[in-house]
Amino acid sequence: MYWLEQSQVEMLLSKLAENYELFGPRRDEVSGEVIFDRLEDLHQLDLSAPIPYNPPKYILFPHYEEILKYRYNRKTKEVAIERINHLKPKALVGLRACDLNGLMCLDRFFLGQEFVDEIYLEHRKKLFLVSNTCVRPFPQCFCVCTDSGPAAREGFDLDLTLAGERYLVEVGSKKGQKMVEELGLKEAGPEAAGWKKKVVDESVSSFDAFAVENKAWISRATNRLTTGFIKPEVWEFIGNQCFECGACSFVCPTCSCFNVEDVNRLDGTTDRVRTWDSCSFEGYTKMAGDHNPRKPVEDRRNKRFFCKLSYSQSKKYLRPGCVGCGRCARVCPGDIGLPNVVTYIRREITGE
Amino acid sequence: MPYYRGVCNFCGTGCGHLLQVEEGRVRGVYPLPGHPLSQGRLCVRGWHIHELLQTEERITGAFIRENGQLRQVALNEALAYAAKKLQKLSGEEIAFLASPRASNEDNYLFGKFARAVMKSNNLSLASDAGQEESARVLLEGCGWPAATDSLSRLKQADFILVAGGDLTRQNPIVASEIHRARRAGAFVATISPRKTQMARLSRLHLRPAPGTMALVFEALARIIYEEKKVDLEYLNKSTENYQDYLNYLEKINLEEILDLTGIAREALTELAGRLSSAKLAYVFYPTGVQSLDRRTMAALFNLMLITGKLGQGEGGIIPVAGLSNLLGSYDMGLSPDFLPGYLRVADENSCQKFEELWQTKINRTPGKSVSANLAENKSLRALMVVDHDEEIIRNVSRIKELELVIYFGAYQNAFARLANVIIPRPSYAEADGTYTNFERRVQLNRQKVKPLAEVQPLWKTLSWLAQALGHNWHYESAEQVMAEISRVVPQYSGLTYEKLDSSLGIKWPVDERHPEGTDCLLLKQNNAKFRFVLEEKSLSQSALFAEKSTNFPFKLTVGRSNYFWHQNSVMKRTFIPKREYNALLLLYPKGFVEISAEDASRLNLREKQLVRLISESAEITLAARISPDVLPGQLYIPYFVEEMIPEFLLRQVAELEKNEEYFLPVKLEKVG
Repeated sequence: MYWLEQSQVEMLLSKLAENYELFGPRRDEVSGEVIFDRLEDLHQLDLSAPIPYNPPKYILFPHYEEILKYRYNRKTKEVAIERINHLKPKALVGLRACDLNGLMCLDRFFLGQEFVDEIYLEHRKKLFLVSNTCVRPFPQCFCVCTDSGPAAREGFDLDLTLAGERYLVEVGSKKGQKMVEELGLKEAGPEAAGWKKKVVDESVSSFDAFAVENKAWISRATNRLTTGFIKPEVWEFIGNQCFECGACSFVCPTCSCFNVEDVNRLDGTTDRVRTWDSCSFEGYTKMAGDHNPRKPVEDRRNKRFFCKLSYSQSKKYLRPGCVGCGRCARVCPGDIGLPNVVTYIRREITGE
Repeated sequence: MPYYRGVCNFCGTGCGHLLQVEEGRVRGVYPLPGHPLSQGRLCVRGWHIHELLQTEERITGAFIRENGQLRQVALNEALAYAAKKLQKLSGEEIAFLASPRASNEDNYLFGKFARAVMKSNNLSLASDAGQEESARVLLEGCGWPAATDSLSRLKQADFILVAGGDLTRQNPIVASEIHRARRAGAFVATISPRKTQMARLSRLHLRPAPGTMALVFEALARIIYEEKKVDLEYLNKSTENYQDYLNYLEKINLEEILDLTGIAREALTELAGRLSSAKLAYVFYPTGVQSLDRRTMAALFNLMLITGKLGQGEGGIIPVAGLSNLLGSYDMGLSPDFLPGYLRVADENSCQKFEELWQTKINRTPGKSVSANLAENKSLRALMVVDHDEEIIRNVSRIKELELVIYFGAYQNAFARLANVIIPRPSYAEADGTYTNFERRVQLNRQKVKPLAEVQPLWKTLSWLAQALGHNWHYESAEQVMAEISRVVPQYSGLTYEKLDSSLGIKWPVDERHPEGTDCLLLKQNNAKFRFVLEEKSLSQSALFAEKSTNFPFKLTVGRSNYFWHQNSVMKRTFIPKREYNALLLLYPKGFVEISAEDASRLNLREKQLVRLISESAEITLAARISPDVLPGQLYIPYFVEEMIPEFLLRQVAELEKNEEYFLPVKLEKVG
């Protein structure tokens, strides 16, 4: 491990900015809230800011993205396909552990199965990832329940942990090692691992005091979801509160559902567009011939939590589909963010 | 920094959002966490506004019609052409159809153009008369035309009543706030014939027969009066005409009301008890296509007044606007009768004030709404329209007869194809402007994307037109228009762009006494007294039902859903909301009518079986959709199924649209 002084953070950013577009948490000047955004000015980066309202997933898997472009010639009936290759290298600085785990879930969905998604791969291989340990949890956090924080274990190029006045830097890749050497960071010595562990342990033990909004003992819920022993009344109770806005999927660091549309442009070309989608929508599962295997809203809700927490699904991600960031609880117009649903499942609430 | 703060432009809730802008295009949207009302939530529409803002189906240049064909011309040429035509018109000959989605600045100048330049009071929005009626009732009763409180204290409420509409669909984030208050302990009751999601989330759901909601409110008032829970001392001190209202209540026949509404006495008694004992009570009703009618709004106002829920400052009546700047449009005087700031055209002093402010004569005769003009005004020769496509379905033949139709729009649509002159407008993300939500919260939405050179904001193109017609209009920016609004509209007098820029909305009245805006209106009122809003003809309950006919045993009502409303051209340009709409429509390609399981089994109907709906003047064939949401004896058609409207509803839609309380008597037959 290495030491990064506060005064060296800017050096790290400037170095990264030579080859990458910089993204990181910044505060909105009027609302005061934190957004994981493209940084136009290095000083916008706020490494002490709470967990950003938006996960960085949009940087690899944008809300709206052209995945190919084609032109159909009506006369010759030929199609000319154009590849999309304008994707720039990006550095994500100050990633929280939950969001880094989210990216790794997306990797397993887009890259780890039978088909490899080329566009996602293109984004992914150009990334430089700098994670940032949460030395103290934020009110909405429950990553200790989902084994995804407060410190990252893998997946980063560099990992920062604030120990006292300076950052301990753990290297996670060759790219990271090269960066550390180029910056000439000071080695932290053999005791560093112990210091980091102490910071992380302190953070974990302060969850009771600081992470007060959500609790989600998910192992029990995983058991019940996997075995299917949840009463239909519980799902109905949950379904009645669903406003069908899709927000829970859009803000989830691991949700990967998308929709594909062909959009005709005025210049005669057609864009094939990928947009975020959500299993909470009725049209999402509708098939030709009127059949919809998940027509009632409670069946669609049920599916989402099955995807996040069931054992069979977790095997695909190599972890639960929930990373404990608590965002779904904040954006839900109903009251059915994941931590609440876990509570309902545990209590088997059937009404009020 | 590709995420920019802004205000959602769909419904009247006015949620805060962040638009992701890359290389001059809006690429995504995210909820703004710190927004005081939406607090980081958006609905399905709000989550897809970037899809609309990406569309290339825009009006990107000016057009004039020559020999029946539209020809693209330079913007200057189109404006000069329009000015020449307008020169020959005035007063009765022209009408102005405004947009409830346009900004206050655009709307203010559109109204000023109608009144000060063209001397016409024929100025209105299309089908949102509910907001205007609501303003009238509230003005008459308490001197303020809008919500008596905002949502900031809703969580402390112990009583919330939702009257009519389908709030979780129309204004989902408002419904979400009510849901939160319910979880914090408020007693939530819904009164609506249909079983809506709000009704499912309520502790009590009353389902009066269509057309009888006013009777329910009067019955509640009567019960509270009978049980001697009325504070006469308070009424004497704070109201002008309570004795008239008490006399009216005494004449009410409670048994008859129970019979007509179909509601059990116990349920009414419970609701009356909850309301009268509440410390902080709110009622919500929608304004827009599905608003309540005047009589029902008046009955609701009177109920809140007699129970003392209006005088305490907090709580009270919250009309929920269906479209983004619906309230702001009325604040800016887009009405035949109201000048900006709710001054009346019929009032000589108000007219003089505006003649002084505008330095020109204005027409003293109150005008008519655009629909009324199209239907009745034989001397109508021209129409000026801002971003609209609804009227077209009903009045297309009359519009085709007009000599001149000038259309200002951002998106291509059917109305534009009828125009003689088309002037492009920026989308709301391409211009600065303020929007006023249902809470009276005025929010500044800054330009985030540069429009094409020929696309100029409405305030600018109107200024050029006014100059060409000899008026001294010199506005350099939307900010300057707001500076004039703050001089003209008393409620906006303390508003500046500077103040708005550093806030997430300021609630009017903003003036010398309330420089930071006003949360609840009544708290800060002087000693002005309240009035009960009494209708002369409201006594004849049975008259409402005189037409009850055995030939047409079903009561048909219409409603709208969250994906499509008003057949609106906006949602069609999105992907996900459009797909959701199609998901329903594909199941019922000819449209559907919802019927209760009881009636379906009595008539031996299967799901999706074709039925014929017959009214006095028209008939239609569509599929039956058996629904747990409608009561026996009632039928429901969602208003958004556009394909059904020209065929059947068109002839009756004017009636149905007035408000939710209207229903159409129909009969229903099996086909084949």
